[in-house]
Amino acid sequence: MNEAWVLGQRALREGWRTPEALLPTLFIPLFFLVVNVGQAAEIFPSASTEFLHGQGYGAFQLPSSLLLAASFGTAALFLVEDIEGGYFDKLRAAPVSRTAIVMGRLIAEAVKGVLIAAAIVLLGLIFGISIASGPLGFVLLVGMTALWSVVFVGFMQLIALKTRSAAATNSGGLIFFPLLFLTPNFVPRDMLTRPMEIAATLNPVTYVMEALRSLILQDLVWADIWPGFAVVAVLGAVMLVLNVRMIRNYD
Amino acid sequence: MNDVRTGSTPAVQAEGLVKHYPSRTGDIEAVRGVDLKVEAGEVFGFLGPNGAGKSTTVRMLTTLLSITSGSAQVAGVDVADEPDAVRRRIGVALQEAGLDPRQTGRELLVLQGRLFGLPPRDATERAKELLELVELEDAADRMIKGYSGGMERRLDLASALVHEPEVLFLDEPTTGLDPASRLTVWDELRRINERGTTVFLTTQYLEEADQLCDRLAIIDDGRIVREGTPARLKADLRERRGLTSDPTLDDVFLDATGRTRGRVVGEVQEVTA
Repeated sequence: MNEAWVLGQRALREGWRTPEALLPTLFIPLFFLVVNVGQAAEIFPSASTEFLHGQGYGAFQLPSSLLLAASFGTAALFLVEDIEGGYFDKLRAAPVSRTAIVMGRLIAEAVKGVLIAAAIVLLGLIFGISIASGPLGFVLLVGMTALWSVVFVGFMQLIALKTRSAAATNSGGLIFFPLLFLTPNFVPRDMLTRPMEIAATLNPVTYVMEALRSLILQDLVWADIWPGFAVVAVLGAVMLVLNVRMIRNYD
Repeated sequence: MNDVRTGSTPAVQAEGLVKHYPSRTGDIEAVRGVDLKVEAGEVFGFLGPNGAGKSTTVRMLTTLLSITSGSAQVAGVDVADEPDAVRRRIGVALQEAGLDPRQTGRELLVLQGRLFGLPPRDATERAKELLELVELEDAADRMIKGYSGGMERRLDLASALVHEPEVLFLDEPTTGLDPASRLTVWDELRRINERGTTVFLTTQYLEEADQLCDRLAIIDDGRIVREGTPARLKADLRERRGLTSDPTLDDVFLDATGRTRGRVVGEVQEVTA
């Protein structure tokens, strides 16, 4: 764990010293939030739309922005740079556990995820969104978003390790967009058309989005929250195992 | 204890080392049965034209590549069976200076020390010593992305020494350096070797091998084609060809690899530092 934390600190310094890579993760999700609310808020007035639980449509859209912010996977591009520049081999030639090499970047991604999610939620609060589940809900909201960012960067790192190419890794990240839109992104699941509802039910991102939404719109409804945590826990464990295996077999 | 510094164990021993890479057109045989023995305390040169298998061999010996067949022990430890134990005993500086451009030189060395198990205070102290050794104290707190090629090479070398390795692997450590920087690296290598570290050096610069190496091997097309001291290899060629004057290491290399001066233009460079 000590090695992982040392490598995590290095990855955090890397992120801090590359603000130009960090800023889009904040601005692009906020841009989508503003655009989506601008397009659909009139259709769903808070007073007459039951699924908004008395809040504006921005509160309903906030989870999409949080998930988008947590799905940039910039750390995987830094990993490609390490591979291309030879630093990754330097790490592999050190007596460091392969798990620590993976965990270092994931720890840093979790910290960045917390900061970005907190910043977006706090901006949401300024613009009138409230977190109905209270301070604990805020912590869970930020925590789940950060864990999703770990899952996603784990996925991106798999592409980076397999292809060793920045272009391929970048393109691989685009897989998230279909997953984001095969969710109850604009309306709750029971209001989707039947084919979309089936697709959303099969899509694990749906459960994370619904858990985040529940934390924003309602008091702590554990039946909605736990599936989200289950998805990030299972996918996180899978990504960790696959990453470690890929580094062990890296030739 | 298998400490090569005591001289009881060969620093590097490989038998029948083979590496195949899969490719679309079938397996590529990069290394085809390399036998090597490097004694403790030597500076061992590993020469060969581009694509001969030098880097592949080094990457297998340093645990970075899997071994298709054959066996290798470094510092008395089997590379395939106990890679972590090998990693603790070796230092590695590869062709690409493996540095993180977004860290300072000091941060990189402290991190490397921590990864080799040094406590924070010891890692900081060791980084300071190494920065002095490679004369980078003034640039220690600058980002590595601002370093010159020579500074990067010296820092890479320092990072390979952070844990005082028994065997130091250097893959073309002076490629791309200007003559002055090359001489600085040579001096540092001599100092490191004098302190008891075995040096395994690949190079394309024959004068470098002549200047630095106690013994050398020439690899061509994945196989060792000559092995011995530079003086012995030259003497053998002189005897075999009935030459009236001593051949150079270039002549030995050309003879060993079956190349002519015309063919090697662009493959092997002679450097007068």
